[in-house]
Amino acid sequence: MRSQWIILFKKEFRESIRNFKWLWIPTVFVLLGLMQPITSYYIADILEQFGGLPEGTVMELPPPSGAEVLTGTLGQFSQIGFLVLVLAFMGTVVTEKNQGTLIMVLVKPVSYVNYLTAKWVHLLILSLTSFVLGFVMSVYYTFLLIDTIPISQVVNGALVYALWITFVMTIVLCLSALLNSTAFVAFATLGTAILFSIFSLYAPDLMKGTPGMLATYSQQFFYLGEVESGFWISIFVTLGLILAMMIATIFLFNKKEFAKDVQ
Amino acid sequence: MHLIETIGLTKKFNGTVAVKGINLSIREGICTALLGPNGAGKTTTLNMLTGLMNPTEGSIDFHEDYSGDRRKYLGYLPQYPKFFGWMSGLEYVVFAAELAGLSKEAAKSRAKEMLELVGLAEGGNKKVSGFSGGMKQRLGIAQALVHEPKLIILDEPVSALDPIGRREVLELMKQLKTRTSILFSTHVLHDAEEVSDDIFIMKKGEIVVEGSLVKLQNTYQQPTFFIETEMEMANWLETIKQKEWLRHVKVDKNKATLTVENLQTARTELLSDKTLQELKLIKFEVAKTSLEDLFMKVMK
Amino acid sequence: MNEIIESFQEVNWPLIAPILILSLVLMIVALIDCIKHDKTNGPQWIWILVIVFVNFFGPILYFLFGRRND
Repeated sequence: MRSQWIILFKKEFRESIRNFKWLWIPTVFVLLGLMQPITSYYIADILEQFGGLPEGTVMELPPPSGAEVLTGTLGQFSQIGFLVLVLAFMGTVVTEKNQGTLIMVLVKPVSYVNYLTAKWVHLLILSLTSFVLGFVMSVYYTFLLIDTIPISQVVNGALVYALWITFVMTIVLCLSALLNSTAFVAFATLGTAILFSIFSLYAPDLMKGTPGMLATYSQQFFYLGEVESGFWISIFVTLGLILAMMIATIFLFNKKEFAKDVQ
Repeated sequence: MHLIETIGLTKKFNGTVAVKGINLSIREGICTALLGPNGAGKTTTLNMLTGLMNPTEGSIDFHEDYSGDRRKYLGYLPQYPKFFGWMSGLEYVVFAAELAGLSKEAAKSRAKEMLELVGLAEGGNKKVSGFSGGMKQRLGIAQALVHEPKLIILDEPVSALDPIGRREVLELMKQLKTRTSILFSTHVLHDAEEVSDDIFIMKKGEIVVEGSLVKLQNTYQQPTFFIETEMEMANWLETIKQKEWLRHVKVDKNKATLTVENLQTARTELLSDKTLQELKLIKFEVAKTSLEDLFMKVMK
Repeated sequence: MNEIIESFQEVNWPLIAPILILSLVLMIVALIDCIKHDKTNGPQWIWILVIVFVNFFGPILYFLFGRRND
């Protein structure tokens, strides 16, 4: 039933074209990617011109390094970027369930695996494309205005960060399939991502080998070009969790009853 | 062999029993109505047949010629069909057809054919979000039929429609009977009488009456006389009480309703009854009880 | 005042042009979509104001919350 998968995938794709998700989400990421190096470049100027500093103050801001700017870009992606992605896709299954379009699809001989994985792949392609476009712009302007760093470090860092995005987007899809309210989906997903980040920041030893460290590892690639031990464990644990979440979700989704009880 | 047979089909929701061990057999090539008041368990029954709900107990067997995933042979129209509003009518039916396994070309030509059949040939390119209730219902029928299912299941297909829409959909259903088997639920007796061949009457999760429309009519529709006279009839009625053609009498002073076994004999005897003539006949009317009486009796 | 004008002249316009253009694209797409739809979540005119006057975030807010998926 490969062809059925393609039909479901095409439906997702067309839907996101028609509601402009394929236009505005990449645009938001590109803007975020552009703003970081450009504001870093102008920050000294801006402070000098508009900061209202007393005459004669000598501004001695150390120029930011390339790694700093790229880290800052990922910081923007982790905040505004994630917020946008999660809010844009929290309803991907729940809304169809609550509106009643889901039963119209599932009453056809549709495989639940196809239904969920088509949505999952589409979601990942859109998020990762947006990320790549935004990050490429950020790297280009950083190299142009600030400082260059070895391209292999940039690519490695980006790949690790892409896995972190994949992890968070998988949570969105799974929760959207299992919960009954969009607000819940967004709250639980963002809550999980934030908890992971906070713990990784304040208790990195505790979080070793979890997905929460991925953003830290991508920064280490930018700054140092190498990562501390535990990196590969994190990668495999994250991949394992993604797989486990998808399998569990498909299993639970199969057991669900979608017809609304009218009794 | 029946198209679908259920044995002891039961559905419980947190302790309350919505459907109580019903045995349904749906014949192929005809239209079957599931009739009953709201809350009788009709929708739950249909949902179990489509696979959208799992029975708590009991089994559903599909005709052995149609093996594998039951959904391949079913088309379904829920009471309130919901579509992707951003699609056009044609796009939606093509989508539904492709999901059911039709090739791209086949899906397109079948979809167009179905839209034509339900009278949406022109509206096909409009966005579904702009469709009226009647148009959505017809689009729902088109998407249910597009993969040539052996049975289409329609949940209250006309109850949300205005009289014109209702007429249109009922006519459409009559037309569809030549193409496929139909199972539909309704709480309106007239709709069931108009289009169906078999009727199952449900009440509180159980089937209380079942059979073909013709059989039910023969069993439950009886010839009836409405008689009105100038004088009171009580005494006269005593004299005919023993007649073997009489089934039931209801009397109110000078008005009487007689339900009888045999129309011919009863009419001949009544009209030649001297005593009755002496009561000074005002009205003598022959009629048939409708299934309405049965329905009302069952629903009480 | 002269300082501000000077600083504007110092701004490297080709550098920030992409930001301005993309922001504009975002705004225009949101605006067209908002006007084309008969129904939005909440009053349409408020969304139009939000899209036009809230830089960057306005169009995003509209796409996330103002658009009604029917």
